[in-house]
Amino acid sequence: MLIKGLALSLISSTAWCILFNVPVRTILAGGMAGMVGWLVFSFLPMLGAEVLLSTLVSASVVSLLSQLLSVLLRVPSTNFSVAGVIPLVPGSLAYKSMLAFVNNDYVGGITLATQTLLVAGAIASGLIFGISVLTIWKGARYAGKRTQRD
Amino acid sequence: MSADLVMDTCLLAGTMILKSGGETYRTEETMTRIAQAAGMDDVNSSATPTSVILSFRCQGQDHTRMVRTPKRTTNLNKITLVNDVSRRFVSGGITLSEAYRTLREIDQKKPVYPKWMQHMAAATASGAFSMLAGGTWLDLGPSALAGLTVNLSMEYFERFVHMKFFTEFSAALLGGLVALLFVTFFPQLHMSILIIGAMLPLFPGIAITNSLRDLMAGDLVAGVSRGVEAMLTAVSVAVATAIILWFMR
Repeated sequence: MLIKGLALSLISSTAWCILFNVPVRTILAGGMAGMVGWLVFSFLPMLGAEVLLSTLVSASVVSLLSQLLSVLLRVPSTNFSVAGVIPLVPGSLAYKSMLAFVNNDYVGGITLATQTLLVAGAIASGLIFGISVLTIWKGARYAGKRTQRD
Repeated sequence: MSADLVMDTCLLAGTMILKSGGETYRTEETMTRIAQAAGMDDVNSSATPTSVILSFRCQGQDHTRMVRTPKRTTNLNKITLVNDVSRRFVSGGITLSEAYRTLREIDQKKPVYPKWMQHMAAATASGAFSMLAGGTWLDLGPSALAGLTVNLSMEYFERFVHMKFFTEFSAALLGGLVALLFVTFFPQLHMSILIIGAMLPLFPGIAITNSLRDLMAGDLVAGVSRGVEAMLTAVSVAVATAIILWFMR
């Protein structure tokens, strides 16, 4: 089951890399970012984490990993982070919400839509977290250099 | 160093980044860095998702130009290449005319992956994602086919409908219809899984990521407008899904 999930997340992230025309040398790294994100996403619920928390943590992991890869391979980090969050997309929640609205279950629909929005927000916050950490690191390095020069 | 060549190089780099789906802060930063490395004073650049403005002072004379970028695609390879050229120029590895020539070559380059490969990638992504969302092996083929329909029809509609959100809506509707047909003829398939897989190629990933990065970089106007773009795409997909589900009732 785990192997299947890992393989599927790797395949779908790699396919998204192709869809976004990423450079050939970063294509596998993007797929790997998606796979690691999915691994964290499926591992955390076993420790008792809820969907929101595990989405937040795995999106942060994907974002940090793409920042690291972007420094290592000297390419923009968008190459990895966009494909990396694909396995975390709350597709079934969004679908269930639309289904509830169509079936005149407005309360259920709004509940599910709110959940979808929260999961999307968790992905966004995770992405922001990775960017912020890199910015702090860059800022610290820059400040260090400046004090040396003065 | 002539001011015209500096202006041309900066604007070419900037518009290429913006056209290929790059962030606006990256556009502004690249143009500013190139102009400053070329020895221009008082460099100011401003970019929104649809336009680029650059102004600088060269030997006591002001130069300003603005370029519109109405048509945008997603080509991260181009952004990476332009980034590379600007980095090499700023660090002094190549001259300005070399940088300009390289940028022109990059501009003429075709996408790394041919069209058929992108469509196959969309189908693969849809199939794999539908299985990830809890589908069985049976759902794999139909959802890949639905995803392929979405991507193909989006490319086809784009030729004569110059309205992004209507194109996405029609593509989602067609993909949903394919899923609906499959479920009607083969009741053992899962409608939810097929729809989730089919809509995946329309997920506005690049718009969301760019919106966040622009907001984080302090580019509030660009960030908000990209966010609205992502939201409108999501809404058009949701409405198309609702129409398909309404047929199912």
